[in-house]
Amino acid sequence: MVKDNLDSYIDDILNALGDDFKTEVSRENIEKELSKFMEYGVPIDQAKQTLIKKYGGQAVLTSSEQSSERKLISDLQPNERSVNLLCRVIAINPKEITVKGDIRKIFYGILGDESGTISFTAWNSELDLERGDVVEISNAYTREWQGSVQLNLGDRISIKKTDKEKLPESAFEPKTMKIVDLRSGVGAVDVTARILEINERETEIDGETKKIFSGILADETGKAQFTSWHDFKFKEEDVLQITGGYVKSWKGIPQLTFDQKATVKKLDKSKIPKKDLQINKMPLFMIVEKRGALDVEVEGTIIDIRPGSGVILRCPECNRAMTNNECSIHGAVEGKQDLRVKLVVDDGTGSVNSALNKELSEDLLGKTLEEYKKMDEVTMLEDINKKLFAHRINLQGNALGDEFGTSLIARKAKLIDFDIQDEADKLSQELEELL
Amino acid sequence: MKRQTAWRVFAGEFNDSNVEVKGEGEMTPSFVVTPLGAKVNRLFIIGVLTDVENISQEGELLRAHISDPTGVFTLYSGQYQKEVTEALSNIDVPTFVAVTGKARTYNPEEGLMYVSIRPERILEVSADIRDKWIFETCKNTKDRIEAVMEAMKMDESNVNELKKLGYSRELSEGIVEALKSYENIDLKKYVTLIKESLQYLRPSKETLPDIKIDKDEKEIEEEIIDDKKKEKVTIKKKRN
Repeated sequence: MVKDNLDSYIDDILNALGDDFKTEVSRENIEKELSKFMEYGVPIDQAKQTLIKKYGGQAVLTSSEQSSERKLISDLQPNERSVNLLCRVIAINPKEITVKGDIRKIFYGILGDESGTISFTAWNSELDLERGDVVEISNAYTREWQGSVQLNLGDRISIKKTDKEKLPESAFEPKTMKIVDLRSGVGAVDVTARILEINERETEIDGETKKIFSGILADETGKAQFTSWHDFKFKEEDVLQITGGYVKSWKGIPQLTFDQKATVKKLDKSKIPKKDLQINKMPLFMIVEKRGALDVEVEGTIIDIRPGSGVILRCPECNRAMTNNECSIHGAVEGKQDLRVKLVVDDGTGSVNSALNKELSEDLLGKTLEEYKKMDEVTMLEDINKKLFAHRINLQGNALGDEFGTSLIARKAKLIDFDIQDEADKLSQELEELL
Repeated sequence: MKRQTAWRVFAGEFNDSNVEVKGEGEMTPSFVVTPLGAKVNRLFIIGVLTDVENISQEGELLRAHISDPTGVFTLYSGQYQKEVTEALSNIDVPTFVAVTGKARTYNPEEGLMYVSIRPERILEVSADIRDKWIFETCKNTKDRIEAVMEAMKMDESNVNELKKLGYSRELSEGIVEALKSYENIDLKKYVTLIKESLQYLRPSKETLPDIKIDKDEKEIEEEIIDDKKKEKVTIKKKRN
């Protein structure tokens, strides 16, 4: 916890103790004890109560203290109960989920206040909110979800729409961000990027046909998808400053979303030269923590070659890999043979799955599907293991996250060899400088 | 559920561990935290399989040892790891093997903890692949030493601050836990450990110890058959 935050809690404690005690208890002592509690993950309110009691003060009941206190989004920690907010609805979408066989409607989206934004899930199927509403929320709670804090609006909340002027749009100072830092739930961002790809499509909203522009944009730190709900008349290769968008994500790939409320300014193309847009190489933990990423390069050791690698049969109807000569959808069919390898690649900081298609597999293994067809299974797997297992591999492509972890959909793959004596010499040198 | 990272940790660091973070609830994993803050649920190790022994009276429970330049990993594999257990009992020792496995702990008494590995998969590999593992593990161990040094500079080590410096969440959490739980972390020891391991990979830079002194017949036999690299392993093994 940041020290500044503690200060206000220490003030609370000292105030609760009243003047009689202030002289006896030093601020330093309270700070020390409070930080200790924080270190052990004691919720701040419990810690406060405990210290107030310890020094002879009257402990305040949590509920009465909390019901009036408004929190800022940037201060929210995971696992807080009874959170009260004043915020603006930045995005809201309905979603249908299945709970014990019943279909239930929930909502998810982004809420923002002057301090920041947070993604939320509302478990109430009759939530009457729309984008731009300013609301007072009480009794929400927080959880940690994929590395960031998420707000939950459960059964016990109350939501009250209030005057939009309480939180005017001007309160949302856009935050300048690099593409590599974009994460789902971030609102009001200011991004400068080059448009690499743009597609136009039409969709119907409330009976009206609307044009949507989507594609890929990039800066020197990475690539992301975008969706524009308004025709800003920009073209491929334009360099733009987009202010006032917000970030959603699909399987961990960030999507910058913006509409007519955003400002889009065309900049000189030299602001982001094309040559700076190299593919970004990152350690595996970074991709696993972000869950996914668009067009990245990774390197790691092949620590497992998974079942289902080698010559397989695919269903002629749907191209799915068959098991025991059957397709899970089309039953017993005459399959067509294909070659693939399913790898687990790990660099000691994180782990991803990657299934390589026939072209990439043939290239890496130096043998064709035809050659493998002639081998029995044991010989084939031995050959694949010998060529790939425990070797270093470099992969390029999109990383997609789901509940089973992150998979790299490889576009390019190559085995990496290095001069071990050279590298060992370099490392020895660095080690000398270390201590 | 996300796949657990396969940490690269030398036996010398792994065996020094006496801190475990137990998962609460059913599906939450447990971790062994090493003195350098590796938060290990799964490991990937390569070394010399030196011996395999059935230690169960009835049924099958194998104990095996894998030696790396810094020490020896202990493996236990039983009837619930049928494939690995079978593979283990069919490998002739000594040979280079790669193992992915889960960190296990044993507490014979309060305050005492031993670590071992329950293998998930074992495969024979070449000397060249083994050397690459040593290099990679040297590099990852050095990264951890640097991260611990950064954390020691802070007034109070903190996961978020470490993450800001570019370390993974897992390592940052491991380091905060290590600094809390280990009384003093002997960084010098681990630097020496890396240096010694690197000597394996840079044979031209150092004079090798005289190998003729304590050699028995079996080793001479091996030496005739094997290439230079294997020869060095045999010597080191003897010295451990």
